[in-house]
Parts: sequence; C-alpha cells; structure tokens
Amino acid sequence: MTVGVLLPVAIPFVAAVVTLIASERYARLITYLAAGSTGLATAWIVPQVVGGVAPSVRLLPLVPGLDLALRVDGLGMTFGMLAAGLWVITSVYCAGYAEATHLANQKRFFASFAGSVGAAIGVAFSGNLLTFLLFYETLTLCTYPLVAHNENRESIASGRRYLLYALSGGLAVTVATAWSWSLAGTLDFTEGGFLAGKASEPVLTVLFALFLGGCGVKAAIMPVHAWLPAAMVAPTPVSALLHAVAVVKAGVFGCLRVLGFVFGPEALEGSMAPMVLAALCGTTIVVGSVLAVAQDHIKRRLAYSTIVHLSYIVLGGALMTPLSMTGSIVHMVNHGLAKITLFFCAGSIYAAAHVDKVSELGGLGRRMPWTFGAMTVASLGLMGVPGLCGFVGKLLLGRGALEAGQWVYLAIMLGGSVFTAAYLLPILKNAYFEGPATAKSGEAPVAMVAPIVAVAVLVVVFGAVPAVMGVQHALAAGVAAGVFGGNP
Amino acid sequence: MSTLPTWMFLAPFLGALLVGIAGWSVRGLVRPVALGAMALTCGLSVAALLGTLGGEVLVTHMGGWPAPLGIVWSVDRLGAFMSVVVAFVSGVALVGSRATVRAELEGRETGFYTCALLLVSGLLGMTATADLFNFFVHLEVASLSAYALVAAGGRGAPQAAMRYLIIGSLGASLYLLGVGFLYADMGSLNMRDVAQLLPETDGRLASLGAAFMVVGLAVKMGLFPLHGWMPSAYGRAPFASGAMMAPLVTKVAAYGLVRMLFWVFGYERLQGGLLLEVLCWAGAAAMVVGAGLAFFQRDLLRLLAYSSISQVGLIALGVGLGNVSARTGAVLHIAGDGLMKGVLFLVAGALFVRHGIRKVDDLGKLRGREPLLSATVVVAGLSLVGIPPLVGFFGKWYVLVGALEAGRTEFAALIVIASLGTVAYVFRVLEKLYFAPRTDALPPAKPGGAMAMASAAVLAVAVVGLGLASSVVVQSFLMPAMEVP
Repeated sequence: MTVGVLLPVAIPFVAAVVTLIASERYARLITYLAAGSTGLATAWIVPQVVGGVAPSVRLLPLVPGLDLALRVDGLGMTFGMLAAGLWVITSVYCAGYAEATHLANQKRFFASFAGSVGAAIGVAFSGNLLTFLLFYETLTLCTYPLVAHNENRESIASGRRYLLYALSGGLAVTVATAWSWSLAGTLDFTEGGFLAGKASEPVLTVLFALFLGGCGVKAAIMPVHAWLPAAMVAPTPVSALLHAVAVVKAGVFGCLRVLGFVFGPEALEGSMAPMVLAALCGTTIVVGSVLAVAQDHIKRRLAYSTIVHLSYIVLGGALMTPLSMTGSIVHMVNHGLAKITLFFCAGSIYAAAHVDKVSELGGLGRRMPWTFGAMTVASLGLMGVPGLCGFVGKLLLGRGALEAGQWVYLAIMLGGSVFTAAYLLPILKNAYFEGPATAKSGEAPVAMVAPIVAVAVLVVVFGAVPAVMGVQHALAAGVAAGVFGGNP
Repeated sequence: MSTLPTWMFLAPFLGALLVGIAGWSVRGLVRPVALGAMALTCGLSVAALLGTLGGEVLVTHMGGWPAPLGIVWSVDRLGAFMSVVVAFVSGVALVGSRATVRAELEGRETGFYTCALLLVSGLLGMTATADLFNFFVHLEVASLSAYALVAAGGRGAPQAAMRYLIIGSLGASLYLLGVGFLYADMGSLNMRDVAQLLPETDGRLASLGAAFMVVGLAVKMGLFPLHGWMPSAYGRAPFASGAMMAPLVTKVAAYGLVRMLFWVFGYERLQGGLLLEVLCWAGAAAMVVGAGLAFFQRDLLRLLAYSSISQVGLIALGVGLGNVSARTGAVLHIAGDGLMKGVLFLVAGALFVRHGIRKVDDLGKLRGREPLLSATVVVAGLSLVGIPPLVGFFGKWYVLVGALEAGRTEFAALIVIASLGTVAYVFRVLEKLYFAPRTDALPPAKPGGAMAMASAAVLAVAVVGLGLASSVVVQSFLMPAMEVP
C-alpha cells in the first residue's frame, strides 16, 4: 500500500503550496481540510504497523544506490501519529488564536505551518538517512518564517539565531551522513544499526558527535539549547505544536533513530560516547530545571521545561537498554501531549487577558476555569502523577536507568520531577489563590478552549485507558526489542 | 565521423555574423536573428546529447585530416551534457535580456547580440574541442567577447574590462605557454594523442606544462587568489552582459580544467602530487574567503561575484580531490552553479529595470512587491546553501563524499565552514526580501522585465529539476564519462 505511506507526507506540502496560491480567506479552511485528512491518512497506517508490517515506498533515486524512501516502523509511526494527530487539534486552536490576536500575514503563517508538519512527518517516515536529512533541513526552513513571524527586531533576531543553530546542526548531520555513506555503502535505517564493524573506534566517536550534535541542536540539549527560549517570540500555536512537539521531537527522534538504527548497541559496545551524551542530558535536566524556576515569562518557563523533558527522552536512548528506549518513545508522546496543553493554555491566557507573566496571573484561575482546569491536569501529568500521561514514561525511564546500573540518572530524573512541580505549581497557585484579577476578562473563545479540553482529555487517556496505553507501549517495546534483540 | 560537434559552435558563430549584417541593414531583425541562432544551437546540443546517449562519441576531423595532424572536435556524453547546459543557460539568459538591453545598451543592440553569440560559440567550442591549441583559440574567442561585454557598461566598466583583459590575457598566455611545453616535448597537440605519448616521456616538461596550464585556467575560472578581475568585472558589467557571462565563463574554464587533468594527464599520474594538492587548498580557501566576503558586499552584483568565487572554489576542490565522487560533484556543480547564477543575475537585471535597485540594502524596499522574483531568489539561494533536493546540495554532497572517501576530513570541515558563510549571505538577502519593514519608499515598478522574470523562473525550475534528476544525470552522463579511456 504505497500511496498510504505517501499521503501523510504529501498532503501537508500540497496544502502549503495551495495556501500560498489561494486567497488568504481560504487559508484556515485549507488547514482544516489538510490537517483532518493527514490525521486520517496517518491513522490509516497504524493497524498495519501495530500488526508488525512496516509499509514502505521508494520514490526516486537521489544518488545512485540511494533513494528517496519512506518506511514506517514503530518508532516512525509513533512520532508521525503524534505530529499528525496534534495538528488536527492545533489547526482549530490556530484559527481561534489568529482570530483573537488579529494575526498578520496568515497566508505565510498557515503555509509554513503546514510545511513544518509535513516535514516532521517526513522525518518520522524516512527510510534512510539521506531522506531524513532532506526533511530535517526542510523542517528548519519551514519553521524559520514562523519564528520570525512578528517581524519586529526581537523576532528577526530570534529567527537568525534559530537558523544559525538549526542549519549548523543540519550541516553536522550532512557531513555525518556523507561519511556513513562512504564507510558503509548504505544508509537504510536498520534495527540494531549498520555502522558496526564499518569504521574504527575514533571515527565512530567523531560520527557519533556529529550525528548527536546535529540532532541534539533541535533536541535542545545543553549547550546548544539557546535557540529554543529565544524562539518563544513566535505566535503561541507555533510554540505549542512546533517548539514543544514537532520540531524539537524531530531532534529527539533523530537522536533515537541514530542511536538505535544507525549505530546500534553493537557499534557502541564499550564506547564512552553514549555515556558522554547521557552526562550532557543529565546536566541539561539539572540546569534546565533550575533555570525554569527562575523564569517569570510563562512561555519561557515552559520552554526550559521542554528542554528538561527532551533530555529525559534522549537520556533514555543514551542509556541503551530496552526498557530505557521503550520509556523514551513513550515519554516522547506523553510529554508532547502534556506540553502542548500547557502551551495552549498559555496562549489562551494571553489572548483573553493579555497576560504572559507568572507573577501577573493573580485571580485568573476563577475567571478562566476551563483553561486552568486543563493546565492543572497537564501540570500534574508532566510531573508524573499516576493515572495521567507522564507517569508511564518516567517509570520506564527510571527502570531503564536501574537496568543500566546508573543510579545517578534515576536520582536526576526524580529530582527533575520534583523541580517540574516547583516550576509548574506556582503558576496554578498564583492563578487560583492570589489576589483578584488585574484584567477584567473572561474565558478565551470556544475555538481555543475546545482544543485545550481535547488535549487535556488526551493527557488523561494516555495515562488511564489501558487499550490506548497498550498499543502505545507495544509499538515502543517492539522498537526496543528490534534494536536490542529479544522479545518485546 | 559526425559534423555535429562543429555545427554546435558554428551555429552561434554564423548567427553572430548574421546579427552584424542585420544590424547594418534591418535593425529590427537583430534580436530575432540572435534568438533564432540560439534556438538552433540549443537544438544541436540536444541532438548531440541524444546522439551520445548510448555511449557513442561524436567526432569531427576538420577537413578530413586524421587525428594527430588534423584538428579534432569530439563530444562524448559528458561533453554533450555540458553543451546542453551552456546552450540552455545562455539561451534562457538571452531571451531574458530584452529589458536590460533596452535599459542600458540602447542603440548598441547589434554589438551586444554579436558578442553574446560569439561568447556562446567560444564556450561551446571549449566543451567540444579535442585539441590543446584549439582549446586556447575557443577560450580566447569567449574571453574577448566577455571583455567587450563588460566594457559596454557604464561608469567604471571600461577600467574593469581593462583589468579583466590584462589579467585574463595573462591567464591565457600561461595556458598557451604550458601547451608549448607539451608540444616541445611530444610534438602533438591532440589531447588523446598527448595522453598516449605521455608515458613514454620522462614527464619533466609535461609536469611544467601541466602547472602552467592549470594556473592559466585557474585565472580564467577566477580561482582564489587569482580572482582579482571578477568582482569589478561582474560588478560593473551591464546586467544583460552579466547574465550572459557570469553563469558560464568561469564554469566552462573549470570544465576545461577537468578535461585537461583527467583526460590528458590522467588521475593516476597526478594522484598525490603537488598540483592537485595546491588545487584542493586553493579551492578550499576560495570557498571560505568567497563566502565570507560575499556577506560584506553592498552591491548586489559584487555579492554574486564573490558567491561565484566561493562556488568555483568548491568545484576546484572537487577537481583537486580527483576521485570519482569528487570529480562528479565538481562537474555537477559546474552545471548547478551555472543555473543558480543564471537565476540570480537575471533577477538582478529585472530588479534594476523595474525598480532601479542595485544595492543589497535596498532589497528591503521591495518587500511584498515582487513575489515571483523573490521566490526564484529563494530557490537559487537555498540551492547555494545546499538544501536537498536542490541541485546545489548534490554538487556539495558528491565533493563531500569524495573528501571523506579520500580521508581528507579537513576539507569536509572547510566545506561546513563555507556553507555557514553561504547561509549568512543568502539569508541576508532573503531576510531583506521577506522580513524587512514595509515601506512606501519605492515608486511603483516600471513596466518591462517580464521576459527576464520568466527566464529566471525557468532557470529556477531547472535548479529544482536538475536536483531531482541528479541521480539519473550522474548515472547516465557523468559517471560513465568519468571512466577515462
């Protein structure tokens, strides 16, 4: 079923082009249609992948012996479904946000948005490194106009910074890809990697640094994280879907792909490189948590929280055990759900009350019951309260750390969760228990509240409904089993 | 025996003569005659491409004289591919030159179209010839036309042309001197013949000759640090001339270098030698320095000139590394950069005609005014940066793979640095076009330039198309032809 694999990647790009050509008043309509059909087309593939088939398609040769190829395995399916599914909800939210904040230049906005989602799904579905690189760079370029969207001095500077970081990362991946090609003669993602025995230890270490450095930029691992807080100048729907889910998760996804499907446990056996990566992630969790507490701007606080949780996920990959890898993939989705809820709430607070500081939230909790209700659920979910979505991933990650014999990372993860409470709960405390609202405002418009409720429900569903969690876990465990051998 | 290789460069040559006659009698026919000759040339080059698809080599013996004595033109798959690129890019540029000619060269159309056709004739001769001396002749035909095309410009152009003339003639003389050494050693000028005779010599004169020829061609291709003529020549040339010569003149010289080094001297002989090593480092330096200086230019055309210097550096690096991957990348990038620069010089011309803009900073005033031109700049610019699947990515990719195959990681690192410089100057332009504050500082666009816009769009489509088809092109034209006889 080749067309089925192609559609989720193709529809958003077609939608982007149509949006640019068509009149601006159709921009939202096109986005609704594209997001809806992309969501359906992606969901259409899920049963096959869960059934153990990896549908694939080869489109055209890019280099002799190397095709533009899509192949959907469990890992790609998980990320692809995350991006496509949340785009459906975000498109409704986007429209509400654009209405409420009188967003300018909507044609460019919606076209770039669709292109970014298409590129993210392309990253997810890539069957080899060169295809991955193609979509990875496309993702950077489609996101740039969104970061610089407001066209003031600050957003243009953030756009430049974003380009510098992301394209440097892309170049690192380019060199690493070319190098792998010249060493191995193949770039097809293979369970357990294809680089084992193809290069000497030092060369493998350099390749590791290039790949993980290149993907780590988008995953905002310290010290290459600075673009993410700066990118918060973008309109909030962009921060929500792209800078909490699609773009940053493309980086995280790239790290997991490279760890499991390019290097694999065999090539990294006895190497110190994964331990260095794990140490960087651990540092990021600690430092990022502290910095998050210090932020007064809601979106910047959430951005540092994203940085922290992305490092949880990459850390799980770097520990290189089946359980930690499973936990990574599960947490990749679950963090996305909780974080997009939080960003949606931040956007709705801004749209309704024009407040974007934690310290100015006083009393808003009672005026915006739906928004802050959802925020409460998502905050608890991200902290890891059982019954909500954050718990399972963190549990698996923690068990993975034990499996790897790395007590210190278990401690860091637990500490990180305590900090998550420390920087999320004050938001709720201010909103519910501090003085009367400074602004006389009510709840945000329905077009924004409905998506918020929808993602908040997902936060509960992915933490409490066994059927959903079972499928999610089976996909993730299948990937880990493929990479490390053995039964899922 | 086929006469196609000679007709390919004779068509524009005869066209140039007809243009001269038309200019003397019926002025209105000048442009139609020139375009007709260009169309015929394109057709002939496509015929050559089709004729060589199966691996045949089209050979013309001038006057029927056999090889070592007579002059020979031969076109193989690689040569035919290059000819199509040259004919196509210059043909599209000529179509797009109407408004820029009217704006800057009013009353001198005859001279412009004559020189433009002579330039194309020289370039096609360079791609088709199989004779070392005859290469020099075609090179000079192309160069002299290029000097004249630059000199036709306004303020500062004569000085720039004089500078170009002096440096360029020096380059040509060095090349000729090198050929002289080879002739003194082996008594032959036929490329194939020289390649066969070389192993029998002690190689000392041949090495000397090779060095002179490479330096001479390096001047012609504007390879750092011999690029001094380029910024002023491109910056001062009329826009119509720039669009004709800038995409191709340096690139075809680079193609000549590929032919000389790998078909005449042979990679096995040169491998590990000083000549290729110097070429690598000069190319790498050109890449980095060119990209860095491009960022600081105020004049749009000078920015493009430094961009060309940088891209020629990548080509020279590919040639210098010399293995099949790197060489493939060099030749693919010759074609790719020809297309990209074609787009950008046509856009520059159209912007000058429609808005009178020639400074990079003034591009911001265009905000939202020229959606089509801006879009073509995006395509060409991203291709320069090396974003897949545009053609610029693949040229860079093959050179990069070649460098890594050869274990030369230092060049991979320099390619990365140069790419970051390219990002800087390309996005400096794109940011102006798309994110500068909207102003009403600019009067409405003057009419005209439609042809230039259409031509730029056609070349931009080709940048995408050649990128998507690059694997096919490499497999059917470049790789097989790289198996040097």
